[in-house]
Amino acid sequence: MRFDRFVVQAVRAQFRGIPPMDEFLRHAIDAGVGSLALLTLLTIFAGMNLSVQAYGTFARFGGQEMLGLFCGVGGIRELYPVMAAIVCGARIGATLAASLANMQISEQVEALEVMGIDPMRRLIAPRLWAVTLMLPLLCAYADAVGICASYFSAVHQMGINEGVFIAQVKEIVTLPDLFAGVVKGVIFGWLVALVSCYHGYRAAKRDGAEGVGVATNRAIVHGAVLCIVLNMFLSALMYA
Amino acid sequence: MTGPLRLLESLGAVAIYLFAIVRSLFTGPRYVAETLRVADILVRRCLLPVGLAVAPVGAVISLQGVHIFRSFGAEELLSSLLATAVFREYSPALASVMVAAQAGSSIAARIGTMQVRGQIDALAVMSVDPIRYVVVPGLIACAIVTPLLNVLTTILGLASGWFFAVVLSGCDHGSFMANLYSQVSMVDLWVGMGKCLVFGTAVGLIAGYLGLRTSGGATGVGKAANNTVTYTIVLILVVDYLASMLLLRWGL
Amino acid sequence: MPEGFHYVPPTDPAPAVVFENVSKSFGKQCVLDSVSLVVPKGAIMVMLGPSGTGKSVLLRCLVGLIKPDAGHIYVFGEDLTALDESRSADRNKLFALRRKFGMLFQDGALFDDMSVGDNVAFPMVQHTRLGTAEIRRQVAENLKRVGLPGVENKMVSELSGGMRKRVAFARAIALRPEIVLCDEPSSGLDPVMSATLDELIQELHRELGMTFIVISHDTAEARKISTHIGLLYKGKLQAFDTAERVLNSSHSHVKQFFERNTQGPIKVL
Repeated sequence: MRFDRFVVQAVRAQFRGIPPMDEFLRHAIDAGVGSLALLTLLTIFAGMNLSVQAYGTFARFGGQEMLGLFCGVGGIRELYPVMAAIVCGARIGATLAASLANMQISEQVEALEVMGIDPMRRLIAPRLWAVTLMLPLLCAYADAVGICASYFSAVHQMGINEGVFIAQVKEIVTLPDLFAGVVKGVIFGWLVALVSCYHGYRAAKRDGAEGVGVATNRAIVHGAVLCIVLNMFLSALMYA
Repeated sequence: MTGPLRLLESLGAVAIYLFAIVRSLFTGPRYVAETLRVADILVRRCLLPVGLAVAPVGAVISLQGVHIFRSFGAEELLSSLLATAVFREYSPALASVMVAAQAGSSIAARIGTMQVRGQIDALAVMSVDPIRYVVVPGLIACAIVTPLLNVLTTILGLASGWFFAVVLSGCDHGSFMANLYSQVSMVDLWVGMGKCLVFGTAVGLIAGYLGLRTSGGATGVGKAANNTVTYTIVLILVVDYLASMLLLRWGL
Repeated sequence: MPEGFHYVPPTDPAPAVVFENVSKSFGKQCVLDSVSLVVPKGAIMVMLGPSGTGKSVLLRCLVGLIKPDAGHIYVFGEDLTALDESRSADRNKLFALRRKFGMLFQDGALFDDMSVGDNVAFPMVQHTRLGTAEIRRQVAENLKRVGLPGVENKMVSELSGGMRKRVAFARAIALRPEIVLCDEPSSGLDPVMSATLDELIQELHRELGMTFIVISHDTAEARKISTHIGLLYKGKLQAFDTAERVLNSSHSHVKQFFERNTQGPIKVL
């Protein structure tokens, strides 16, 4: 199936009525709760790293006091949403692609069709909704964890003044910035889900186990690249 | 089996795996042609995704940096920030993440498929060591290819940063270029390259290990590919942080 | 049909399935070449043929999973090939038509993220308004019918190949379809398990009066259960008639296939 035709059918299925709730809940929980541990771990290290890096860089110009600004802008506006999207592209997207590809090669999708059930409605729509709704939440969560980690590292490891750091973060990060992160999350989530479902759904019976591997690989790579490239355009649109 | 026992078993399996890898690295037979073939495929496959992923980062740094630095009237510092961030941090980390996503997951999936189809056993029956023949070439290829890609992505990152700063945001070309290398030293370059070497090796090791341990048919193959990427990303971020801390302590 | 049989029962007013000059190619490869046949209601039609001769494409055309390039397929008089899947009215019609079918897939195609009971219940949950208690009762009855009482709570991954197929059978007949399609029911099973499945088909045929369309390369199975036999080779329907007439014919393809000869018109690639 071509990608454009898949998108048309998927979107039509997504917005036609309420998706099957059992599938939606299963995937929403898997995408959201299932990603929490990984995302927490990654954001803690990324957030602390951001502080350490920025300190090292700014110390060369004697601008250590700008750390709060840098962590606010670099982290909340850019790094955490993209990271949440890449991690989810790698974890959720790959899981979606692998499960759909596996359903294709073992004829489970055909079985649905023979039973007179539209696979787009039954399989694709709930997955799209689940990831589209969960990713912005994950982005917001990553924002919170990340800025805490940056704060910890800046204040306790680098010895930056606590008040200055907080004041700078407050000054540079506005409510629209947080909202922009959530918007990014929605867009990234929908794209990751769409691309992953496409690669999984495209597998055919004759591909066998190899098809599952190929689908997983493509889902991860295309999802990550799309998010990073799109982030650039979104940022240019929002902040420039 | 209880928890601690299971952990001990996995640790043992990892140790045996690492030992087998090291032994294959230092003794013959070596599959040089196979290694070059894999490296060739990896470069072709990774070039586009890695380039596409890293180029926007330079652009975003410029985009956000211009605002901040302008408000302080320190616009000329932008290119220094860009260069340090790209050289030492974002280019190596993102190049490695994308190598993990593209090469790591496909290597794990390939080895996993071979395992599920019984081809790994078939190799062993034909007295070909699967680790030597299947895992090591991928490992060496990843270790070589990642630093090479890093060179490319560093250039791309700087170029896209330059484009956004000078062409789109109207910074002065002369001062941009003059300050570009003022804060980066050879150390930054070597740190970046060293990280890539470590991360590339890690990608190859993790992909091989998870690929060989694949079980449970087609679903298992997907899981191996998926886990390779997540584990490598975790490793990259943790190592990145520790490396930054160490370098800061040493004052580099 | 130059040298084969083309059997249209003259007295059958409403046949279950009619193929009329159905052709399908994938690229240059012609998989079905002008296939015509009529399956009367209540038949057990076994479509034989060597591997890779388009049997499973034939089956998929019949449920609209694959659209033939030319020709018509009628299911209970309704033209399946006239339905255009991109139009939503036709899509609904197609899905409605498919509910007349139950299909047993080659490896079962059970949903492996559900339990056995949920798999069998799935078509009922989707297409009927029965209460949970009633569905549970029917699931138990269907599983008992296929000789697997009390396995509702097992997961699909815990089942052996033979059990998987029988659970898939229970799912295929859950809505009491009028036509049951079986894709290689005996492949990958030991002779005793194959015989069990054959007897299951006969039993359901006898008790529930379903029409069966079975594709297979197992001649013993065809001899045992069929009322009608077709032989497909290289996309062409070489023979199609009542089982008795096919088995007694001197048709060269048929003879070679049933006598397991390497010599004859059917070439090994």
